[in-house]
Amino acid sequence: MNNKISYIIIAILFLSVQSFAQEWLVPGDQRNIKNPLEYNLDNVQKGKDLYLKNCKSCHGDPGKNNALPLVPPPVDITSEKMQKNTVGELFYKITNGRGGMPQFKTNISEDDRWRIVNYIMNFNPNREPVLVAAPKVKAKIMASVNEKERKVEVFAEHEVKGKYSSLGNEQITISAKKYFGNIKIGEVTTDNNGRAEFNIPESLIGDEEGNVNMVVSLGEDYIAEAVLLEEAKVGQNKKVQKLIKPGILWSTNENIQIWLLLSYIGAVGAAWAAIAYVVFQLIKVKRLGKTEH
Amino acid sequence: MEKIESAAESRKLLNKITNDLTRSIVKKDELTRFWFFILIMFVIVGLWGWIVQIKTGLGVTGMRDYVSWGMYIANFVFFVAVSLIGFLISSALHLLKIPWAKPISRVAEQVAIAFVALAGIIIVMDMGRPDRFMNIFLHGRFASPIIWDVTVITTYLAISVLLFYIPLIPDLAILRDKMSDKLPKWQLTMYKILSLGWKGSAEQYKTIYHAMRVLMILIIPVGLSIHTVTSWLFAATLRSGWDTAILGPYFVAGAFVAGTAAVIMVMYVYRLRYGLKDYFEDFHFDYMGKLLVFVCLVYLYFNVNEYLVPGYKMKEADGIHLNELFQGNYSGVFWIVQVAGLILPIFLLLFSYFRKPLPISIISFVVLIMAWLKRYIIVIPTLEHPFLPVQNVPGIFQHYSPTSIEVMITIFSFVAALIIISVLAKLFPVITIWEYASEKGIDKKYLTENDKN
Repeated sequence: MNNKISYIIIAILFLSVQSFAQEWLVPGDQRNIKNPLEYNLDNVQKGKDLYLKNCKSCHGDPGKNNALPLVPPPVDITSEKMQKNTVGELFYKITNGRGGMPQFKTNISEDDRWRIVNYIMNFNPNREPVLVAAPKVKAKIMASVNEKERKVEVFAEHEVKGKYSSLGNEQITISAKKYFGNIKIGEVTTDNNGRAEFNIPESLIGDEEGNVNMVVSLGEDYIAEAVLLEEAKVGQNKKVQKLIKPGILWSTNENIQIWLLLSYIGAVGAAWAAIAYVVFQLIKVKRLGKTEH
Repeated sequence: MEKIESAAESRKLLNKITNDLTRSIVKKDELTRFWFFILIMFVIVGLWGWIVQIKTGLGVTGMRDYVSWGMYIANFVFFVAVSLIGFLISSALHLLKIPWAKPISRVAEQVAIAFVALAGIIIVMDMGRPDRFMNIFLHGRFASPIIWDVTVITTYLAISVLLFYIPLIPDLAILRDKMSDKLPKWQLTMYKILSLGWKGSAEQYKTIYHAMRVLMILIIPVGLSIHTVTSWLFAATLRSGWDTAILGPYFVAGAFVAGTAAVIMVMYVYRLRYGLKDYFEDFHFDYMGKLLVFVCLVYLYFNVNEYLVPGYKMKEADGIHLNELFQGNYSGVFWIVQVAGLILPIFLLLFSYFRKPLPISIISFVVLIMAWLKRYIIVIPTLEHPFLPVQNVPGIFQHYSPTSIEVMITIFSFVAALIIISVLAKLFPVITIWEYASEKGIDKKYLTENDKN
């Protein structure tokens, strides 16, 4: 048994060393293809959105080295290894994939693939980054649910020169808290007074009682604690399928068929009543022994 | 039945009967001590095995994900089966007024009590967490055959104990009155308490006859259900080999075979050990032999039904199971069990020579072993086949073989049953004295008179 496991481990190590060693070769004519899209803020921003949607789950946040521990490991897009690639090579690799890296030829358009390349190029040391993260600002959100009108009322503030003032024209994200992370329900933009009202969609499904745990949060540019609105009764009742049919045998006590329960109790009761009667006869024998001489 | 008129003759005969039938109680020799010593040694080994199992968990057994009912459950079914004989002999034959069965009924009740009590203990020993035993009662589901089985076994044990005890009361009074110089004080005190101040009045006899009759009638449905419900543990599933409507009567018929064989063996041992040649007479063995042939024939009939009908159709899953039995891994055991456990005994016991005490006891021993193996091949081969085709299953899941711990605990159950039977034989007469005496024509009034008067 142990031998088998060690063979498997050796085999995996061998294969992974192989894949480390093997260069991902891109055909010469593909390597030097020019980027047909302009390297500008618009394309890089779109590339970022695409990256977050399609690539981040394996490659992680840029510069944070939090890629998934796969073999071979997904490379951080800010790393030297990634940035050594030409734009043509990046495009080829995104398009065709290899091994654990899937191909995106069929589900991302050519232009969008080039936009992702543009986003990666944003971290290239030889280029001027067009998309620069602004320094984060401290902010506060206050939110409450109006269950009757099915609204989330939000008020946001941010810190300006040491003082908090209302945060206007900023996007607020409303999500539902689930077991495995948050699901975005929608977005709303604050007005000039930093206030916003979000209409909760009718189609939102809550738990069995229709309760939803909602999270109100600001974008990544702010350091703000998300507000958790617990157990708001704004969703539809989730229909939970009962896995045990009421009529089935071998069921729980709640689902037991009445004839079965009555037969059981009747039979057991009758048997033990008869036993009790016999025991009573024994008491009678004892009493007879005492009285007669 | 002739009445013996003379008082002196009655007293003389009664004295002889009492002496003979209490020999097992009075007799104290090295062999008895050695017998108990051996039994207790095995019990200690078995209990040690159980402690190991509780400490390390059921991983010490051969049971895995597929075969989750191993030797323990097979053994449990066997024990329930053997215990059913109490119902057949002390109730069914009594109610049919079959006279030769009377002296055997106490042996049958001893066997019934010992085996049904151990059946309950085996189930506890099969549990991975016996400390959660009470959960069966606290959270049991009334729709589950397991709860029915627990209930019916408890009920049957209670009835068997009463059916053993009530005919014993007049005997206990005899022991109390006539054995005062031969037995230690604690034993006499016990007889005094248990005999419930028996005076032998007509009214008292009437009461115990009435109580016995109630029990004998009550034990018929309970006795039948004890093994029928045990069979439902299997038949209420969809597994091939268990999913048959015939399983209830099939189990009951098989139980009579095992129980009759067990009683014959115990009878033979008593006859030999306690010199009861005049009580367990040759004709008793002869009748028991005929009874064994009869129940074997019934069981054979059910076996033919159980295997021939699905064997004729060979539905896919059933076919895999049956092939395994007929010509696969279990074919050796299967055919030995069918031949040595059914066909051969039926054939041999047709000859009166083989119904003599020693030959029939040997045959019974073989039948009993085959009955045990039969339970094994009812439980295990079915479980070795998963419901769905699966891949990458460890080989250890697919093949079951009991470990030494399981064997130790299984041996423990047999030894513990023997201890119960031995202790009962050591404390109480193995044949009902008063019934036997009145059978021989002794008036009941002599039973309760004190020797010293």
